[in-house]
Amino acid sequence: MEYIVETKHLTKKFGKEEAVSNLEMKIPKGEIYGFLGPNGAGKTTTIRMLLGLMRPTSGSVQLFGKDMKNNRIDILKNIGSLVENPSYYPHLTAKENLEASRKILNVPKKRIDEVLQQVRLHGVANKKVKGFSLGMKQRLGIAAAMLHQPELLILDEPTNGLDPSGIIEMRQLIQSLPEEYGMTVLISSHLLSEIDQMATRVGVVSKGKMIFQDSIETMRKFAQASIQVKVNDNEAAWRSLLANGQKADLEKESVTLQAEDDGQVAASIRYLVQQGFSIYRVQEEKRSLENIFLEMTKEEQSG
Amino acid sequence: MILSLVKADFLKIKRKGMWLLCLIGPFGVVALQMVNYGVRKDYLFEQMDDRWLYYILNINTFTPLAIVLGIVILTSFMASIEDETNAWKQLVALPVSKRAVYLSKFTVVSCIVFLSSVLLFLFMFGYGLTLGMGEDIPYLRLMEYSFLPFFAALPVLGLQLWVATVSKNQAIPVTLGVVGVILAYSASLLPDWVIWKWPSLSNEWGHSYINALLGIGFGVFVYLLGMIDFKRRDVK
Ligand SMILES: Nc1ncnc2c1ncn2[C@@H]1O[C@H](COP(=O)(O)OP(=O)(O)O)[C@@H](O)[C@H]1O
Ligand SMILES: [Mg+2]
Repeated sequence: MEYIVETKHLTKKFGKEEAVSNLEMKIPKGEIYGFLGPNGAGKTTTIRMLLGLMRPTSGSVQLFGKDMKNNRIDILKNIGSLVENPSYYPHLTAKENLEASRKILNVPKKRIDEVLQQVRLHGVANKKVKGFSLGMKQRLGIAAAMLHQPELLILDEPTNGLDPSGIIEMRQLIQSLPEEYGMTVLISSHLLSEIDQMATRVGVVSKGKMIFQDSIETMRKFAQASIQVKVNDNEAAWRSLLANGQKADLEKESVTLQAEDDGQVAASIRYLVQQGFSIYRVQEEKRSLENIFLEMTKEEQSG
Repeated sequence: MILSLVKADFLKIKRKGMWLLCLIGPFGVVALQMVNYGVRKDYLFEQMDDRWLYYILNINTFTPLAIVLGIVILTSFMASIEDETNAWKQLVALPVSKRAVYLSKFTVVSCIVFLSSVLLFLFMFGYGLTLGMGEDIPYLRLMEYSFLPFFAALPVLGLQLWVATVSKNQAIPVTLGVVGVILAYSASLLPDWVIWKWPSLSNEWGHSYINALLGIGFGVFVYLLGMIDFKRRDVK
């Protein structure tokens, strides 16, 4: 598969602490990739390395199939980015701010009006950015990132500090990009709900490690209901299920069946009864994506 | 690439009062002599046969101070424009080399200080004419004392820009700058190798061009050090 972004063993240390460790990120073309992780997980550090703002301690970054180390400028021609809090020059107007980037990107002047229109800031084009709300500054940052119609847009927590209507607007804008412009989008967030609503692929990072990376559908599969069985001797029941080739997990006070359909659940229960276990309860537990995300990151933290 | 960066940097200093500073510096230096000559012109005219030379040397007591102070403020401003909302990350994520980013900042500050030197020449010449110091106008000396301090101050420019761009807190370059200004003003007490003495154009051989040449040579060296260090570091 052709990857727009591919990192190999990407690692960044600050002193002794590993902010990013052995991270392997893979983003296929045309996807909206949700980069999900709690605060301090290493999302921004990873993004900074993708943009060549930071040098990896070890490992490599490949974008568009080219190595970042030797092709930084070439690669950056095709990337638009917004890292952490929006950067801007407060004493300049929105238009002048974009002009400062436009001069360097060398794109036609009319692009400024186009992107201002796109993020709906055309009404305040000639106002100083100093007086803008955080949401407006954020949108200005996105406008700047889209000036040169990049193939890859990297947005680090772009909805931070936006009000609900701002978040919806931002989401609609981001979702339209792959279709309308063929862009690939990398968007980071610490909120699963946000990624859930936009992303087509997900990478979950915790303590600098990538602990899950797949399509959003696969992630949702995890969210399907699981069946918990409470038995007189949970551990023995679990062992006997495993010995019989059925997938199950041992919990503190129950056994969780990893069953894909009703038939499998029925077979497992029948088997347990035949083995002479007393079954106290069979209950369904629905796990939300939120729970999965919490579990994923918790395991990582305790391990 | 470098030209568009320089253009962008000139756009960014809009409304920051840097052009005003460029004007105030040379004007202030000449204005001090306006006061001086306004109060005791006759006395000053008797101090030396060559009245023009004496006038130029009087101007030059304050030029080094003004030029070093100007460099400190301008370099710190340049860095703080990017520091303010941490725009370094946005700037360096554009398709430009970090070397070019640094060169552009250096170029813009140099241009402004050089323009100040041109203004100093005009003001010094203009006010000199009104004093009636004779028809024999020493153009070469006027140029020497307008432009050579700029070249002699290049190492200070290189050093201040370096410290300002890599410091997280502008208090560091400003503190260094204040020490520099004091050193520049006490030039006559310093040994020749101290870079802050160079803009005064005095040295034990009595040739001002030596300071200018040293300034260019060592200035390029400090500039390169700063640029290499800026490129090597992770972006703030
Ligand atoms: N410049 C830095 N110096 C030292 N530590 C840093 C630096 N940047 C980030 N860190 C540390 O690296 C870890 C990951 O931070 P970050 O990438 O900002 O996380 P996220 O963006 O996921 O919230 C944190 O523990 C943070 O304290
Ligand atoms: Mg972050």
